[in-house]
Amino acid sequence: MPHQCVSCGAFYEDGAHEILSGCSVCGGKLFFFVKKDRLEELKQEKPKLFSLSDDDKKQIEQDVYDILGEEVDRDKPIVLDIESIKILRPGKYELDLVNLFKKKQPLIYKLDDGKYMIDVVESLKKMREK
Amino acid sequence: MISFFKNFFKRFFAKKKDIKFGLYGPPNGGKTTLANKICEDWLGEKDAMGSASAMAHETREIKIKEQVIIKGSNNRELTFNLVDTPGIATKIDYEEFVQEGMAEDEAKNRAKEATKGVISAIKWLDDMDAVIVVLDSTKDPYSQVNITIVGNLEARKIPVLVVANKVDMKKSDIKKIQAAFPQYKVQGISAKTGKNMDKFYDALFEVTK
Repeated sequence: MPHQCVSCGAFYEDGAHEILSGCSVCGGKLFFFVKKDRLEELKQEKPKLFSLSDDDKKQIEQDVYDILGEEVDRDKPIVLDIESIKILRPGKYELDLVNLFKKKQPLIYKLDDGKYMIDVVESLKKMREK
Repeated sequence: MISFFKNFFKRFFAKKKDIKFGLYGPPNGGKTTLANKICEDWLGEKDAMGSASAMAHETREIKIKEQVIIKGSNNRELTFNLVDTPGIATKIDYEEFVQEGMAEDEAKNRAKEATKGVISAIKWLDDMDAVIVVLDSTKDPYSQVNITIVGNLEARKIPVLVVANKVDMKKSDIKKIQAAFPQYKVQGISAKTGKNMDKFYDALFEVTK
């Protein structure tokens, strides 16, 4: 699954080293996980999030970390699943309950390589298959 | 013989698993008012589960009251841990709080905490032995939130009691709630005035059978 940097919108292919080390454009460590069939669509139209001011983006990143709680290490890259929780602007949230209820496991997964994944059930399934 | 004693002692000293009753529902259904009423009735504690508010998302963290012992009309006793959860919503917008007079920064923070609260309420669901779904009986029960909560409880085979709260209000319509969730017992109450609380306590015995 491709990933997109939350801060600057740069795209990375699945397994790209930037997802582990941080975005090579802006150094961000927070990534969205993007479905392949939506990748082209997203590349063409700039998602609303990236038209936000820098302050708003910073605030959103801060809020994401607060929502995730102390379970995550802020120095490690994090991949978010935008299917479950959408943050439109600071203080505006849309929650996909059907998706959230589906997870039997915790919402945060710590992977061996020091990366965290949130809600990315499909990716995990694929990893297990490998 | 030895194994008989072993089993006997094991059973005798085994820590009894506490039943967990979870209060679930959309924001402003009256979960905390009901939790406080239960604690007041049986533990003599006022506002034990925190403050209730007219503004949505007042409860943003899971709250637990352990060892609540209630008596039914037939003198039976039931001991449980009461778990009050944040209201579950599909959309949390700070502007709603601002409209009610809250400062912007505080409202954004409330929205963030409320989102976190929804996640933890959902995370806790599998730990519940039974769930009391608290609905505002003056509102339309056919909402995405209600249907998702009840559908998931059904799929997980968790026993459910649906509470139609706020029956003291003119607009209250229990029948509509019964029609929406015919598979479950629906108990009309007013957690605020205490109306039908005796029937509610009897219904708790039924749901844990």
